[in-house]
Amino acid sequence: MPVEPAVANGINTVWALVVAFLIFFMQPGFALLEAGQVRAKNAGNVLMKNMTDWTLGVLAYFLVGFGLSVIVAALTSTSPLDIVGAFAYVSDSGQWIGWLVGAVFAMTAATIVSGAVAERMSFGAYVFVAAAMTAVIYPVATGLTWDGGLLAAGDNPGFVADLLGVGYLDFAGATVVHMLGGLAGLTGAYMVGPRKGRFDEHGNSQPIPGHSMLLAVLGTLILAFGWYGFNVGTSAIFNSSNELLSAQLGRVALNTTLGMGAGALAAMAMSARRQGKPDPLWTANGLLAGLVAVTGAVPHVTWWGGLILGGLGGAIVLPTYRFVVDELGIDDVCGVFPVHGAAGALGTILIPVFGVQGGSWSFLGVDQLVMQIVGVAIIGLWAVVGTGVAFAVADALFGLRVSEAEEELGLDEGEHGVSVYPEFTGDGAPEPTVTADGGRPSPPTEDDGGRVETDGGVPTGVPMGEPIPDRDSTDGGRPSPPTDAVVDCGTTPPEIDDDGGEADE
Amino acid sequence: MSDDVEIVIAIIRREKVGDVKAALSDVGAPSLTVTEVSGRGSQPAKTEQWRGEEYTVDLHEKAKIECVVADVPTADVVEAIRSAAHTGEKGDGKVFVLPVSHAVQIRTGKEGADAV
Repeated sequence: MPVEPAVANGINTVWALVVAFLIFFMQPGFALLEAGQVRAKNAGNVLMKNMTDWTLGVLAYFLVGFGLSVIVAALTSTSPLDIVGAFAYVSDSGQWIGWLVGAVFAMTAATIVSGAVAERMSFGAYVFVAAAMTAVIYPVATGLTWDGGLLAAGDNPGFVADLLGVGYLDFAGATVVHMLGGLAGLTGAYMVGPRKGRFDEHGNSQPIPGHSMLLAVLGTLILAFGWYGFNVGTSAIFNSSNELLSAQLGRVALNTTLGMGAGALAAMAMSARRQGKPDPLWTANGLLAGLVAVTGAVPHVTWWGGLILGGLGGAIVLPTYRFVVDELGIDDVCGVFPVHGAAGALGTILIPVFGVQGGSWSFLGVDQLVMQIVGVAIIGLWAVVGTGVAFAVADALFGLRVSEAEEELGLDEGEHGVSVYPEFTGDGAPEPTVTADGGRPSPPTEDDGGRVETDGGVPTGVPMGEPIPDRDSTDGGRPSPPTDAVVDCGTTPPEIDDDGGEADE
Repeated sequence: MSDDVEIVIAIIRREKVGDVKAALSDVGAPSLTVTEVSGRGSQPAKTEQWRGEEYTVDLHEKAKIECVVADVPTADVVEAIRSAAHTGEKGDGKVFVLPVSHAVQIRTGKEGADAV
């Protein structure tokens, strides 16, 4: 039974705002998830990248992205091109809540990339890529789909949708947001190259443990909370006839939850099978992969379809990660391609198989299945090409990587001059600068190779100003297992000479 | 009372700190300094995993206990630590005894054994 239009409109507006705030809360989730999976010496850099995604991203998306999406839609469909109209939102307050909802989605896509390229990509290059993601790469993807372009059905269908006679199904962005971000991250991680020590001289993978499983899992659960805004919030409360969308809202909420549960359990089982014990990080990754897998499907599939899709998404995380690392040799630090890319593609392609029509299961047709595959391929191709160009330009302008010495020292110190976990802090003593031992700052030294990193940056126990001896001579000469070098991270003294006064002694 | 001051330094399992504290208290030497340390001795390297990939850690997390002794017989303190920290497995740790050439209590300025 319809309600008054003003009531429906009001409730939908409040809902859109609540949803935007919920999705914004995925940002701290991503920040914690990624920070926990890197070493302590790079945690601050990851946080900076996450903050930059959001803060720079909202500006880029307001000034360029939101309008560009409409232009891309017009160029790839039979809709008339209206460049001035595409940017009318800038001075139309009636569109600003809609813009905000678009923005929180855009920034989710952008922030995925930082997890893949963590611990070695220069901050300047990353800032450029973040701007490109939010101004161009993501808006093109929404232009091709949700804004009525290439893959969208409607009165003025996109060219591909017109050809196939159906529109592409991706409800809340399993591919438009997550696969795009996951593939962008994979492409970036390939172009930046693996972290130092990630592969040995034979190309075999060597683990680099992150510094806090606690942060990673907490970040995952915060992300999952925000995801309700992402999925459920993509549905309005009242439809255009002012009728309550209770059936759709219920299906979306249930499938989101079942997908999350099945994804985590499938990944847990997979990790127990492959590693002997259920692994918290894989379980957390699987929980997110389950959410990604159902994100495009939630209103379109049966409840058991949502459960199966989530389970498949979670199950493929570990094998996909191993494939990316062992076969492709790409150092995807936080596994963003397995979690966001692979699960998003699989879950979206399989929507027609588990389709629902009139409340019961119904295969949505071969045309729809073909459209899903074509859509995934087109968005995926754009993600790789668009990101590849952005990273290439960033490389030419700034250089993609920090120096080898800075990578050993840590990007917190090298890029930002901070320590996320300082061992000693000021105690209010008269000296304005407090050194690690609480005393007076030492004069700058030319060769500051003796700086000791608690997280294994360089071997400890070397007096200031002396070169760091080869590892084997500091630990009693007993040859260490090869993987030990990764944990202790490196044998070469960092050649940093611009951090004067950072004395430990 | 002799003026000999000695320091007992023990590297023990972290989970034994509570037992050792109690044992030291029982023999009348409750003052101590505890530091979290890492080190390598006879305890075999342990294997951990990150995303299913194994890596080796041969520096084990231990607690270092420093206990400066003057009044109580050093042998009692050493035995108290040894029995409280003992499990019989490799990695129980070691106890060292060193002479202390001088000691000063900061609050009172007392020196030598009186400072302890």
